[in-house]
Amino acid sequence: MLILDRILGQASDPALADRLHDLSHAGQVEILSLSGSDIQRHRLRLASDRGTDCAIRLERHQQLRNGSVLMLDAQRAIVVQMQDQQFLSLQPRDTAAALELGYFAGNMHWTVRFAGDTLQIPLNGPETDYLERLAPMLADGRVQRA
Amino acid sequence: MSTALNALPLPQAHPGAARVGIGGPVGSGKTRLLEQLIPRFIARGIELAIITNDLATREDAERVQRSGLIDPQRVIPVETGACPHTAIREDPTLNLQMADALEARFKNLDLILIESGGDNLASTFSLDLVDYWIFVIDVAGGDDIPRKRGPGVLSCDLLVVNKYDLAPYVGVDLPRMRRESAQARDGRPVLFTNCATGDGVDAVVDAISRAVLFDQP
Repeated sequence: MLILDRILGQASDPALADRLHDLSHAGQVEILSLSGSDIQRHRLRLASDRGTDCAIRLERHQQLRNGSVLMLDAQRAIVVQMQDQQFLSLQPRDTAAALELGYFAGNMHWTVRFAGDTLQIPLNGPETDYLERLAPMLADGRVQRA
Repeated sequence: MSTALNALPLPQAHPGAARVGIGGPVGSGKTRLLEQLIPRFIARGIELAIITNDLATREDAERVQRSGLIDPQRVIPVETGACPHTAIREDPTLNLQMADALEARFKNLDLILIESGGDNLASTFSLDLVDYWIFVIDVAGGDDIPRKRGPGVLSCDLLVVNKYDLAPYVGVDLPRMRRESAQARDGRPVLFTNCATGDGVDAVVDAISRAVLFDQP
């Protein structure tokens, strides 16, 4: 178990980028791939893409981001990579359906964002779990996938 | 085991406390699980504190304070006063403040267990508040709970199915409940406990230790 207890900087920081570049050429940059949910955590145990058993343990004021560098020495680096966030995009048929969809998403405590006339839900789990809940509105056309 | 060779020279003197949430429906056995976890963590040398959330009383905190299992000053109540899940998810400010206060008062805390106020199958914890969270359901609540695929069951880090000893008395097909719990969780951990006797609780302690305590005992 390798304990990683501080964020050294971002991979894009000029002071780190050159060293990371050199290490990557030598195949010595390991990636910790985190979901949009897991990146919020301050403690987390997971394996890197090379199989290193990593234990992230950050102070409360620190926050992981895409590109956070958690280890860097002459032999290797470990960098956080945030997985692409998938969204379910929904388009209501009319104003009444929009009101209902907004109420329903709130009642489900889903995080949402708006893009024009679509409502987008970041997926924290299988898409089918969300579609199951939305089935009545999708079935009668009040809402369709955008 | 090794510690990363980082560019900054000084390691943390004390890494602070891991924060672990315990949620689940009213009556599933969250407080009883707490009472089983406390002596086990203390026996391992873990510096521990507890936050309990209650709707309008301090019932759970007072129960744990009176238990004799832990210094009562290390047990703090939060009265949510409204939807109990709000205080652990949408706006966990009260719980964050309490956890910070406990860490300020007890400098070497390793672990803070945060028990929710009891809710339905939709309750989940904010990852701003906790590093890891457990959802407790119980066999007597019905063997259909895993099939209902509530957000708590699906998204927790560890699902604990309590009171498995009651299965024959409440008409529950335990092997089926085990199978359907595993299916709903899609490979994520599920543990069965009898918190009245402590059966199965050691595995919960091991799971928490591995997930967030790391090199601490």
